[in-house]
Amino acid sequence: MIELIKVSKAYSPDVIALQNISVSIDSGEMFFIIGMSGAGKTTLLKLLCSMELPSNGLIEIGGHPINQLKGHKLAKLRQKIGVAYQDFKLLTDRTTAENIAISMEVSYKKPQIIRKRVRDLLEQLGLSDKHDTITGELSRGEQQRVTLARAIANSPTMILVDEPTGNLDAVTTERVMKLLKKCNKAGATIVIATHDDSIYRHTTHRVMELRKGSIHSLSGGLSL
Amino acid sequence: MSFWLTVIRQVGRNLRQTWGSQLMTLLTVSLSVLIFAFFYLIYSNMLNLGDKLGDDLSLIVYLEDEPGPELQQQLTNKIRTFDEVESIRFVTRAEAYDRFAVQLGENSDVLNDMPKDFLPPSIEVIPMKNLRSLNQVKLFSSYLARLPGTLKVQYGQDWVERFYYFTRLLSIIVLLSGTLLILTTIFMVAYTIRLTILGRQAELELLRLVGATNNYIRTPFLLEGVLQGLLGSSFGIVSLYLLFQWIKLRFSGPGFLNLFEFAFFSPWVSLTIISISILLCTVGSFTTMQKFLRI
Repeated sequence: MIELIKVSKAYSPDVIALQNISVSIDSGEMFFIIGMSGAGKTTLLKLLCSMELPSNGLIEIGGHPINQLKGHKLAKLRQKIGVAYQDFKLLTDRTTAENIAISMEVSYKKPQIIRKRVRDLLEQLGLSDKHDTITGELSRGEQQRVTLARAIANSPTMILVDEPTGNLDAVTTERVMKLLKKCNKAGATIVIATHDDSIYRHTTHRVMELRKGSIHSLSGGLSL
Repeated sequence: MSFWLTVIRQVGRNLRQTWGSQLMTLLTVSLSVLIFAFFYLIYSNMLNLGDKLGDDLSLIVYLEDEPGPELQQQLTNKIRTFDEVESIRFVTRAEAYDRFAVQLGENSDVLNDMPKDFLPPSIEVIPMKNLRSLNQVKLFSSYLARLPGTLKVQYGQDWVERFYYFTRLLSIIVLLSGTLLILTTIFMVAYTIRLTILGRQAELELLRLVGATNNYIRTPFLLEGVLQGLLGSSFGIVSLYLLFQWIKLRFSGPGFLNLFEFAFFSPWVSLTIISISILLCTVGSFTTMQKFLRI
């Protein structure tokens, strides 16, 4: 379970990215964060994966305050969180397979398991023919899918996805969402930050809208 | 995948990506070890030579007149008052003449016209083995020179002093080259690791984000330092050995090098130099990581 209690994030000199965010996300839930550019979606995801620390407030994952975790414990937590970044963070001089494998290598998975998992994911995302392609040579849409594949490769318990369909056509968007739903059905908590209403318009899951760093609405769950 | 297999793969990848700077560092470490070991080899051999010559060290006290038995006993007592000595031997004029004739060998006939007592009598004093430092020998020599009836004392002063100052100079060179070795190994390795870290910032950031532990990220860099030390110093020692063998081969036959046994390092000393180089390179790698690899 993810708990955010009165979480704020400010950047110097006086930019307030998030303000008093309080929300609980259950284990195994699929949760949408929506809002315009600059609303604070990406900042919220960065706080959830402990890439950044909150200026105020408390963030707990599974009952553990993540801003107090350090060293080995923090690394172990991060291994359980898969993140698909908006800027991809791909190693553009490595192959698609190597990029996806990296998240499994850090948890010392066996090479044959890594190879099989990489092939499965590439097939599910329609990238089988890009296995040995250097990621710097892929299109934006393909890079985005590789990022997603890397995020879910290690079978994390929590998957954070930032604008997963920004560079994708309708068919590929469908494919990506299908994969995320599959992970969700397998028990993973999924948090998706997006402004693409086609992926959350008819959803039965909770949708939280951010505006200027604050929660504007939260539908399908707790009232504000 | 096991931890060490992953680490070795990372090291291999690092070496491939930064082979240019890695090679430069390897050569610098090798050269530093070679320079240091070269001077240390000469120094240790000079010390051995000094020990060997010290074994043969004797002070010759030339006397005005041949001492009688009583005076001999008195002089012996006076000499032993300064320090214990290994042996004291009185040489008469006649014995000195005979020795000189033997030393001249085939040319001994030049002495035919000389009187048999033209050489002064002397005392040969062989000091104890612990009397090694130049100052102690000098003190003993001046003590002997003050004995009554002494003309002069000889022990090859010039030669001994030159040898002593030469070994002093060598010890300074060894210290300087040792400092050079320390500085180059630590700083060059640190610099190379720093370049690697800066060149892989994106990857290191990603590794942190996907949950790589400190050991996972740091161990390959440490191992790189260990490898640089191991390969660099081994290469330096092997190069020196080859150079040593070449010099031995080229300069074999009568000459300066054959005056004494010129020996290469024992395996133990070679291993110590390699171990210290590894340690220094690891320190260089570690300090850089502490500074530039904040996890």
